[in-house]
Amino acid sequence: MDMNEIKEIFFQECEEQLAELESGLLKLNDGDRDPETVNAVFRAVHSIKGGAGAFGLDDLVSFAHVFETTLDCVRSNKLEPTQDVLKVMLKSADVLADLVAASRDGGSVEEGRTRGLVKELEALARGELPSGGAAAETPKAAPAKAAPKAAPAPAAPPVAAAPPPTDDSGFQPIPFTFDGFGEEEQTIEPSTFEVIFKPRRELYAKGNEAALLLRDLSRVGTMSINCDTDQLPPFDKMDPEEAYFTWKIQVKTDKGEQDIRTVFEFAEWDCDLDVKVAESSEEELPMVPVPFDLSVLDDGSDASGEDQDASDESAANDAAAAVAAAETASNVSKMAAAAARADKKESQAAAAAAAAANAANAANASAGQTIRVDLDRVDRLINLVGELVINQAMLSQSVIENDTTGTSSINMGLEELQQLTREIQDSVMAIRAQPVKPVFQRMSRIVREVADMVGKSIRLVTEGENTEVDKTVIDKLAEPLTHMIRNAVDHGIESPEKREAAGKNPEGTVRLTAKHRSGRIVIELVDDGAGINREKVRQKAIDNDLIPADANLSDEEIDNLIFMPGFSTADKISDISGRGVGMDVVKRSIQALGGRISISSRPGQGSTFTMSLPLTLAVLDGMVVTVAGQTLVVPLTAIVETLQPEASSIHSFGANQRLISIRNSFCPLVDVGRILNFRSMQANPVEGVALLVESEGGGQRALMVDAIQGQRQVVIKSLEANYTHVPGIAAATILGDGRVALILDVDAVVSASRGQSLRQEGGMKSDMSLAATG
Amino acid sequence: MASTTAETGSLKLVSVLDLNEASVLHGQLTNMRGKDLSIDASGVERVGVQCVQVLMAAANAWEEDKKKFVFDKVSDAFGKSMQLIGINIDHLLAKEIQQ
Repeated sequence: MDMNEIKEIFFQECEEQLAELESGLLKLNDGDRDPETVNAVFRAVHSIKGGAGAFGLDDLVSFAHVFETTLDCVRSNKLEPTQDVLKVMLKSADVLADLVAASRDGGSVEEGRTRGLVKELEALARGELPSGGAAAETPKAAPAKAAPKAAPAPAAPPVAAAPPPTDDSGFQPIPFTFDGFGEEEQTIEPSTFEVIFKPRRELYAKGNEAALLLRDLSRVGTMSINCDTDQLPPFDKMDPEEAYFTWKIQVKTDKGEQDIRTVFEFAEWDCDLDVKVAESSEEELPMVPVPFDLSVLDDGSDASGEDQDASDESAANDAAAAVAAAETASNVSKMAAAAARADKKESQAAAAAAAAANAANAANASAGQTIRVDLDRVDRLINLVGELVINQAMLSQSVIENDTTGTSSINMGLEELQQLTREIQDSVMAIRAQPVKPVFQRMSRIVREVADMVGKSIRLVTEGENTEVDKTVIDKLAEPLTHMIRNAVDHGIESPEKREAAGKNPEGTVRLTAKHRSGRIVIELVDDGAGINREKVRQKAIDNDLIPADANLSDEEIDNLIFMPGFSTADKISDISGRGVGMDVVKRSIQALGGRISISSRPGQGSTFTMSLPLTLAVLDGMVVTVAGQTLVVPLTAIVETLQPEASSIHSFGANQRLISIRNSFCPLVDVGRILNFRSMQANPVEGVALLVESEGGGQRALMVDAIQGQRQVVIKSLEANYTHVPGIAAATILGDGRVALILDVDAVVSASRGQSLRQEGGMKSDMSLAATG
Repeated sequence: MASTTAETGSLKLVSVLDLNEASVLHGQLTNMRGKDLSIDASGVERVGVQCVQVLMAAANAWEEDKKKFVFDKVSDAFGKSMQLIGINIDHLLAKEIQQ
């Protein structure tokens, strides 16, 4: 494993830590005061800092350090996590995420924003509470030199409200006092600290080494050590990987307690550590002075001379960096340590790496943790299971055809195989299933930023973040959801003044929920804003020639106008929303995922957007139909109802168009066989079946097919990957009898029925072909 | 690497005695229990606390068994590591190398 791979893992861990950080801060924001929540938040920033330090990501380290210092004040109850304080911290979490992204992908983070937040964080750490943004501008006080014992910083004197007057030349005198000047300059007398250090088993299991910590401690000052070996059990009863030694150490140094604690900062969760100024009255233990020159123990200089090659310099640097990582970040350190050893001697590499991996695995297993698997491998497995399902279906069909009585033991065995195959398929699909939490968490940042931009106060409440759905769906969900959240904040929620005038809480609420329902995931976005202004929407639609001026539309139909292409009620086009492509794009994205979106709105009370999405894009519940002798699969999600047309309900319209009357309304009739060029003449509708489907624009079409064979779950196979794109067809599948059946792209067929050529469409092709791998 | 005769055994410690080696070392020493033992630590470049724990527990066990447990040779790194960890092995050093 090379450094790049370790770095990649570090960034993956950063994502998890950032999610943990944001989740913890939001909990605190909701009033959670559990010390473990604060600890989790602190640990997240601390771990990012540790790993970033190992890779020399200085910007990230310095920001994380300031952030961590302020969080430490919260942890030690010196700073109350009020809403104002948490606002700064949530913004800091956003900047930290940006810095991580910039470190990973290149690019930079707006320096002014980072600097402003650093000032705010430092002010908070000094006990200066934010007041209308003044804290950000508070001049940074000269940092006090680390005192042997950290004491809470006294509150800074109030900053004068008015700036000092400038003189004629524009010079602005700065008030200056000599108070405390002497203290600043005063040299700190060396102090003797007493350190009690008792590592736990986990410290070693995570690849940390107590000897290295002791070596680093010896560099803080002059060190004497006493090793307590009393806990060491008899040789035949000992566990070689257990931690038995405890050290009592005296360090004489002119540095502060913090410098001593810094040595242990990446192991502090896995050891008992006590640091205090030594008192002369304490009982004397026999202390062994530690030799000052320990360079022989340094990594990079301790290799035996004969195999040390000067050309190994870069490898040595990698090793040194890896060792640095080993001494810092948690999980990264395990691999970095293994990498360091592997770099050092080829012959030791495999054994060391394997042993480290074993140790890591053992630690992971005991903690019931997870493993990372390359997504390609999972996709390959899913594809193979798809093949298995198809083969199993084909085998079953062959047996059924050859076993007319249907009682053979093979037949019964096949039923068990079918059940087992289905279970394997479900289990494999579950591997790709991920909670929607990361996407939901991203939304909270969007709410914060957009609300800040438009001067609104909005709270995002999320529920059901642990609801799982296929990773492909999650990846494609973020964009439409972002758009909807922006719309809700920008247009949905009123300004605080308007809300107050309407007797509402000036703080608006946007609620994002996820739940499973009938084998699908349902995501709801509810705002408590003003609701849809139907008069305005209707007028806008008329102005944009989307509907005739005298159109008679129900409330629901008016609400759904916002999904029409090019519709926007924003009077001013802004960066946030209202670019005229919003909800149209949202609906297309959701439909492309095989989902549906609907809206319900109550004037003055808010709007609810409901999205229903399939749990996976690898399999599909479809209606198997026959069209001109061909077998096609129509996605069940597209079908509203099926009906057997009667001759009296069919009406001709124009030269070739036909309509079917359904419950006193007319719906265009589309012959699928004709559209796909399976036949040259239109079929007789009375002899077929009509599938009522919903089209993009909200209207309905009746798709004519010859017969329905049944409903079936099918494994989606990409046509593009295995053949070529076929207009009107989204993907393909293999049926139990071995025949390939095409999966209809309902939207493309409906578009074609409006006169658009199938060959020209493509902008709105279903994502099924993208999802299928095989 | 271990070699034994009927009554005495010798053990040459590997260069890196880190956490991965602790169990290996424990196994090697277990196989030599009951014999006088001389240990060659001249090739040791790095030693971790868990291996030191194993060595010290072994020294105690050999003492109880009234058998010899001696470091014949030690590298500078090994000696300084012991000193850093706060373990005095002077009484375990062969007379020839005692300072």
